[in-house]
Amino acid sequence: MPGLIGIYPFGLGRENWRLARFVYYGLLALQNRGQELAAIITHEDEGFHSLSGEGFVDEVFTEDALNTMPGFIGIGYVAPSKDQRPIFTETPIRMVLVGDGKPDLENGVQASWKAFGELLADEISRSGDSLKAAKRVIEEVDGGYSFVALTENQELIAGRDIHGVKPLEIGSLGFDLGAVVSESSALDVLGMEHVAHIKPGEVVRFDPYSIERSRAKPRNKPNMSRCSFEYVYLARPDSVIDGISVYSVRERIGMILAKERPAEADVVVGIPETAIPFSLGYSRVSGISVSLGFVTTGRKIRTAIKPSIFERLMGVQLKLNPIRCVIDGKDIVLIDDSVVRGTTLRNTVWNMKRRGARRIHVRIGSPAIMASCPYGIEIPPPDELIARALDEREIAEVVGADSFAFLSIDGLCRAIELGENELCLKCWGCERG
Amino acid sequence: MGVGGGSREHALAEAIARSGHEPRIFWVSEDRNPGIYRLVKGTGGEYALTRITDPLKVASFAEQWGVDMVVIGPEEPNFHGVVDEVERRGIPCIGARKRLSILEMSKAEMRRIQWRYGISGKLLFKTYRSYMEAIKDLEEHSELLSWLQNVALKPARQAGGKGVKVIEDVQVYLHGEKSRFKQRHMRWLEDYMSGYADIEDKILVEEKVWGPEYTLQCFVDGRTVIGMPLVQDNKHAHEYDIGPETGGMGSYTGKGFLLPFITREEYERSLSIVKSMIDAVQKETGERYHGFVAGQMMLTEIEGPTLIEMYSRLGDPEGVNVLAMLETDIIDIFEAIIDERLSAVKIRFSDVATVVKAVAPKGYPDFRDLARDHPVEVDEALIEKLGCKLYWGSVHLDDSGQVLTKGSRVVEILAFGETTQEASQKIEDCLARGIVRLLDGWGLFHRSDIGSEEMIRKRMEMAERVRRLYTYRERMGILGKRVDWIPRIGKIDPVKELSHELFSRVGGGSYESG
Repeated sequence: MPGLIGIYPFGLGRENWRLARFVYYGLLALQNRGQELAAIITHEDEGFHSLSGEGFVDEVFTEDALNTMPGFIGIGYVAPSKDQRPIFTETPIRMVLVGDGKPDLENGVQASWKAFGELLADEISRSGDSLKAAKRVIEEVDGGYSFVALTENQELIAGRDIHGVKPLEIGSLGFDLGAVVSESSALDVLGMEHVAHIKPGEVVRFDPYSIERSRAKPRNKPNMSRCSFEYVYLARPDSVIDGISVYSVRERIGMILAKERPAEADVVVGIPETAIPFSLGYSRVSGISVSLGFVTTGRKIRTAIKPSIFERLMGVQLKLNPIRCVIDGKDIVLIDDSVVRGTTLRNTVWNMKRRGARRIHVRIGSPAIMASCPYGIEIPPPDELIARALDEREIAEVVGADSFAFLSIDGLCRAIELGENELCLKCWGCERG
Repeated sequence: MGVGGGSREHALAEAIARSGHEPRIFWVSEDRNPGIYRLVKGTGGEYALTRITDPLKVASFAEQWGVDMVVIGPEEPNFHGVVDEVERRGIPCIGARKRLSILEMSKAEMRRIQWRYGISGKLLFKTYRSYMEAIKDLEEHSELLSWLQNVALKPARQAGGKGVKVIEDVQVYLHGEKSRFKQRHMRWLEDYMSGYADIEDKILVEEKVWGPEYTLQCFVDGRTVIGMPLVQDNKHAHEYDIGPETGGMGSYTGKGFLLPFITREEYERSLSIVKSMIDAVQKETGERYHGFVAGQMMLTEIEGPTLIEMYSRLGDPEGVNVLAMLETDIIDIFEAIIDERLSAVKIRFSDVATVVKAVAPKGYPDFRDLARDHPVEVDEALIEKLGCKLYWGSVHLDDSGQVLTKGSRVVEILAFGETTQEASQKIEDCLARGIVRLLDGWGLFHRSDIGSEEMIRKRMEMAERVRRLYTYRERMGILGKRVDWIPRIGKIDPVKELSHELFSRVGGGSYESG
């Protein structure tokens, strides 16, 4: 689930732009998609320039480095793992490629992207037309992915797999810049207009003189399968993916959850930040008032995707300090976005009970995670997934809750307002998508 | 006799050829337009190549051929006094005289007239004669006049629809990059404008506005201004409204007079702005306006219907849409313009939606040398079979019969439809069949998104947001008012700061800096 960005200048004076800082702020906005590695690659007539490092975007790039980095075409990348890096090819053409998701080529994510980059570079060199080449590669390579590539000929090529698993949105600034980004909120931060999304199976190519697009024609009519995890958890709530507002999906999830799994309580609280919109929706439908239950310390750490257990536990304590007066002596509906191992949740519930909470009814704004993601989202192995081992009643006991319930898969689809056959639901153990 | 050689002129020639008066058509242009050439020959007329900005040459052809009237297509002949010279020789002319065409030639003068006459739909503006002057002023005053932080940079003269940059500079963290780019662009503008000796203002800085744009084209006879169906032009070169400003990559109409995102009342207000501008320029010059005029409009939050620029002619491609829709005999209209009895003519347009898409060689608009001199081939039979029409644009039919590109839009393809989307799809189907190609393999591009359902939905959403804002201002009684508050200085009315723009620079020569 890395974050991708590509910014491209058009027209007279295009070489006067220096885009490193644009890419940097775009990456800051995409930080939610990966916190382990960040990279900025720019291009000018002399060639590529690259800056990268491990950690948060604002730690990796110094003011000095940004101020002196030349280049009027820019690509940026944040990744949730140190092993996922931008792909550079030297032969048969020089190209840099960043990808989100996983092409179905090798076992590993990085190995698959490396193979994808080589395939694309070969195909471009062979056919001489990067648009046709990219379209062909998308037709050939299955999987769930989106990518942004920049060739030595200053062609910026962006595309999505035919199922449209991973997002890619398009933006415009004045008469000058075009951009492709994983999430539209990055465009907002850059002051760009969010103009469209790249369609499933579509390739868009920016060259100095035109923008062209072409849509892959797969052999069998594919099902659309947009990643439902994006809407529930990965994306920023201020993003719009494929024309659907992430925030409104999350609010609807809360509303549906209140209908599907009602509870008697004095107050609804959501675990920041993802579950806040769920709690608002739940409150609205149930009529139970909503309160702010927690204050976080330090920067936003996404516990479900942090690699080591130590960091995860540290993460929980730093992340969630309950506000005592909100929970003391109350019956509470506690809403979280997802449950993987249950560790975070157990810590939170016990923490709240020790601060005086009476009954805690846990509601999860997503279905149970049952399987790993074939498209590279880091989910613990199946034997570490609590929902595979235990039913809802048992989970309630383990985490110390008075009741516990997941959102249904049907409820999730209704919240996104797409059919089961238009969504990827594999991590919820649903293969129909 | 027609003047000019682009797609708009091809559409004019076609409308004239349709006339029941069975006119003999004569034409002058700088390059030989194959479409016009055929129409001219079909009526037994003559076609000559000449510099169409040279009043003596154009008028001499009109005289030599003994034509009954002259129709001007593009703007430059107007700016150079071609109409004045033709009329001086006693030949009636459909076109704006030199002093009247100031509405288009000087974007700065147009704005001054608008402010002086208190005509609504205005924008704050400043003019500069040099890059250094602009930089200094913007730096000194942007603290006090906050609108200067968010501006459109334009050449002060109509310069072939080139050189406009609109850079919103609200993200403080990107200010360095954006202002550096703006400065470089102003330096370029100064250089570019030094090629035009006919105007003192070189750089125009206007407050940046946003909203859906539309073109209101009109017939004018010196007494009456008659509006035509609204057209939306699309200025960005590339798909999704990305990329440099062009003369227009395509345009569409809805079914009927209005666009789906403009109300009847907004149409009327826009028309009243254009009428007032015509009244004002006639008063300023003491001359009468005969011909076409167009308001390039935008619905903005600050003023509602707002005048962005004016044309002293039909738009291109917008002119192609309305001429194809025109049902009334155009010669009858021209005669009524000449006799100043336009109010008595019932002008009718067919009740269909239209879309026009321009096809341009790669390199257009900013790297025209790359776009020039490529041989073109079109399949006219197939275009017709697929229900579309072709208008030749920036090309030259040479003596050997070969058609070569001249650097701008090669052809414009028009289709009718019950809906805009249907017409757009017809053109897409047509272009997908490779009906236009460059024989040397150089690439062509067009915008597939023009007139699509997605685009129209986006425009409607945008119009709705803007409408909410300007109607709020109207309710509060602050439509068109800009007020700022600066700590320790108090309330600032940026309109007051315009006074020296409005009065000390009239006529160009009296300005003193500082």
